[in-house]
Amino acid sequence: MAQDPSIYWNPILETLPREKLQALQLKKLRRIVAWAFENSPFYHRLYKDAGMEPGDIKRFEDISKVPKIEKDMLRQVQEHAPFPYGDILSVPTQKVTAFRQTSGTTGTPVYQADTWQDWEWWTESWCYILYAQGYRDTDRVFIPFGYNIFVAFWAGHYAAEKVGCEVVPGGVLDTQARILKMQELKCTAFLATPTYVLGMADAARKKLGIDPAKDLGIRKITCAGEPGASIPTTKKRMEDAWGTKVYDHIGATEIGAWSYECTEQPGGLHVNEGLFLVEIEDIETGEIITEPGKNGKMVITALDRIAKPCIRFDSKDVIRWAGFDCPCGRSFRLIDGGVVGRADDITKVKGVLLAPTAIEEVVRSIPELGDEYEAVVTKTGDIDAILLKVELLPGKEHDQESILFRLKDQLRVKTNLGYQIEVHPYGSLPRYEVKARRFKDLRKKGG
Amino acid sequence: MADWNMEEMDDLIKRMRHIAEELKEKSGGIQAVDRNVDRILANIKMLELNVSDVMELLA
Repeated sequence: MAQDPSIYWNPILETLPREKLQALQLKKLRRIVAWAFENSPFYHRLYKDAGMEPGDIKRFEDISKVPKIEKDMLRQVQEHAPFPYGDILSVPTQKVTAFRQTSGTTGTPVYQADTWQDWEWWTESWCYILYAQGYRDTDRVFIPFGYNIFVAFWAGHYAAEKVGCEVVPGGVLDTQARILKMQELKCTAFLATPTYVLGMADAARKKLGIDPAKDLGIRKITCAGEPGASIPTTKKRMEDAWGTKVYDHIGATEIGAWSYECTEQPGGLHVNEGLFLVEIEDIETGEIITEPGKNGKMVITALDRIAKPCIRFDSKDVIRWAGFDCPCGRSFRLIDGGVVGRADDITKVKGVLLAPTAIEEVVRSIPELGDEYEAVVTKTGDIDAILLKVELLPGKEHDQESILFRLKDQLRVKTNLGYQIEVHPYGSLPRYEVKARRFKDLRKKGG
Repeated sequence: MADWNMEEMDDLIKRMRHIAEELKEKSGGIQAVDRNVDRILANIKMLELNVSDVMELLA
């Protein structure tokens, strides 16, 4: 569907016909594979061992000849020189201008090197996101983020500036000070994790007597770091709390910012296919999935990242292609409902596959429950059990029995499992600012 | 695509790269020149990703 070109950050790429887009991806994949083969000893070994050379990629179907990489390989390569990245590095260390690292949630952190060009590229990928979500030079954007070793909203900050917004860095301020600063400066937008979006609204109401939906002029919020902004019930809670649209985007330190929701919010996110190549692989068979509606593991390539190339990275994120189009007119393909889980998070409990996001969807669909919860999986003998800790909102205690009945019923419908429920006093469960850890599988070492 | 003169934009981007690289060659190693040119070149690369890379596909 043709649209006004001014709604796109780059109408050339964002409306490129699909066959041209695929040709562009093939051209860029060949370029980045050749770059890595020539400049990264790690990739050179990987490809040589697989009997592959860059010239072997002639057609789109040849992509599967390129060996995949996994996070453990990125960790292992760090044990070698050059410090601290290992010989995956494709540029001299003197060309590296930025260090970031992963959070280490699933093991040893992965260190990420970027040149200045890579940083411009990170920023550029975020410009696509922010522009698609309506950020313009009339916006004053608050960034309540502890600027540090995690990439999180760093690129969002630079991109907001590049798009022309005025950026207010909310660095080391505490939550109340951040809310007051947003109010004082009449900020129009902010970037945060879903957990923190809800946490800020709660703090505003409880500690400052401010109703974010009425007393602050926030017109849009962009989320990152957790799947919440694509979980309908969590999204609704955030939108109700702030009285505005909440948009999702997906990115990762090793990859880049590869996907974004646009203002049309069709129920999915566009993959930025101008800068990334996304493949979806069947978790069991490894076959590439091209049809909509079928969950699989994402294998992704950052087509233009040079210092530490990310080529056919098995991200373990579970996604599925959408079976619907977006009225925005972008030709970038949609994934349905964001990242629906992680291949290493989806776990069997009592023989039933369980995705932690399903628990979040149910808890946040019950308005009398607080935003926070914690699910703990244990095993006694051969028997699995799930304990779900929730908070009742103040004043709802009299209705506890009926609320818990609805909760258990919905959990059984959505996850096919029975739960032991524990009600905790409001405000007593852990609050998080960045990535929340609400699902604990104590059957696993370190879970 | 008719709304944009891709060829002309691509040509201007190429000229910008050429000028920036030439400036660096003539700087005599002045850091204030070289480092600023590096940043300009990084931005030119973004123009290439956004425009030039698509050029030949539209021919």
